[in-house]
Amino acid sequence: MGPEINHHPLSRADGSVSFSNNLYTILAAVNGPVEVQRRDELPEEAAIEVNIRPVAGVGGPRERWLESVVTAVLRSVLLVHMHPRTLIQITLQITKLPTQKLRGAWKDVSVLPALVNAAFLALADGGLPMQSTVTAELFTISEDGEIHASSAEGDLSACTGAFALAYNQHGEMLMNESAGNFSLEAWEKAGDTAAKFC
Amino acid sequence: MANGTPPAPGLTFPPETFAKLTPRPFLQAHLQHKDSIRPNGRRPEEVRKPTVNTGSLSYSNGSAVVRVGDTAVVCGVRAEILLASDIPHPPNGDADAEHLLEDLGLLVPNVELSTGCSPTHLPGNPPGILAQALSYRILSLLHVSDLVNLQDLQIEYTVPQTDDDLPDAGPKTVVKAYWTLYIDILCIAMDGNPFDAAWTAVIAALRDTSLPRAWWDPDREIILCSPLEAEASRLRLRNLPMASTFAVYSTSSPLKQRAHAESWVLADPDGFEEDVCHESVTVVLSHHMDGKKSGILRVEKHGGGIVDNVALLRCVQATRNRAGEWCAVLGIT
Repeated sequence: MGPEINHHPLSRADGSVSFSNNLYTILAAVNGPVEVQRRDELPEEAAIEVNIRPVAGVGGPRERWLESVVTAVLRSVLLVHMHPRTLIQITLQITKLPTQKLRGAWKDVSVLPALVNAAFLALADGGLPMQSTVTAELFTISEDGEIHASSAEGDLSACTGAFALAYNQHGEMLMNESAGNFSLEAWEKAGDTAAKFC
Repeated sequence: MANGTPPAPGLTFPPETFAKLTPRPFLQAHLQHKDSIRPNGRRPEEVRKPTVNTGSLSYSNGSAVVRVGDTAVVCGVRAEILLASDIPHPPNGDADAEHLLEDLGLLVPNVELSTGCSPTHLPGNPPGILAQALSYRILSLLHVSDLVNLQDLQIEYTVPQTDDDLPDAGPKTVVKAYWTLYIDILCIAMDGNPFDAAWTAVIAALRDTSLPRAWWDPDREIILCSPLEAEASRLRLRNLPMASTFAVYSTSSPLKQRAHAESWVLADPDGFEEDVCHESVTVVLSHHMDGKKSGILRVEKHGGGIVDNVALLRCVQATRNRAGEWCAVLGIT
């Protein structure tokens, strides 16, 4: 079963989408291009601001790190030169966590594909100009070397490595966040599988 | 006759001015030269060699000062005691043992960039996105690399046998307290690539850390520590992962043809290169001390689509080739 996407659930945002995959449900809202603060203004491109809100609380260093990764990925997807000196604001609210408590690196890496996909769909819904599409997916390597795509909770608890990979329509890799302890060969195999999948 | 008018200003600038006015063409001109060289004189694959000094802070349990080119980072490790009786939901037996370090938060790294280390980081400001992201990356890496042994951080107490106990039941040990390590990383000079410098400083400081001998006093019901250095014990680190960051400079742009783009992967970017590059790659390889096979611990790549699997593999290989240097820098034989 693929991910579930709900288009334009929020009427007051320029673009919005509710995206849920095997693990997380993310509500993404996009506003832009809007007016930017003088200090964040860039002379030749649009500034991108990503806000990630966890299920409970306002978020701390972990959310700031996730924001920096998602901002970097989206900068290579959006046509930032079309709207210089403006701001594109993306808010990602995590509304559902997986039932099993994830820890450490698995927790970090597993939420990234959902965030990137939700943000991209919301940007498309808002009609913002983009130079490419992006698809992100989570892959896990189990102990016997098997690679699972669209990993579910069961896969995550029994894996030696988890990879969040994103590719655009030209097959270029836009994001690769991997964690765990894996060998070079396993990682190469994961990369090839991911390229074909996306 | 006296000529009062000064000569017309020339139309050439010194290189520094050119770099300030048009940083991208400046870097591009250097890289497109037939022997690609960077403005700092290094080849694209050349890194700055770090120098590490440990044990300079006398009031910390462990410390290290790392200099990588013009980037300088000081790391101090301070150990504080967490009493088991203060933990709201105490761990139950072996079920949670693996994750105790993470659940109890026994390792607390904090990267401080607002020290005046660069014009963009003025002192007195709360940590910005970069400092918070760095702190989190280091925390995440400390947990995933499993380098600190939980046993080293436990203060145990052997409960004396009473008459009620069965005569042949062995002695029971309970954990009365834990050592919490507060790892403070201060950047005193920033010239690009703070992550590699901070990570090297954390590893060096943890290797230097010594914890005093501590025991539970049942009469006073507190933890006592011995001031004698001879009784202190070092941390036994199981893994010494090495981190390597690369920046990617590319001429590609949505306004130009894709095939015409040229790109270069620059190892260990300095401040100037970091400002101009958008794509970055960080590779962390594990380096086990107990003979386990070393593999890839973490790969982080975002910001663009230039680096593909093949280029990433080259980055991993380049990092692997520096294993010898890494050991020499940390003083591991």
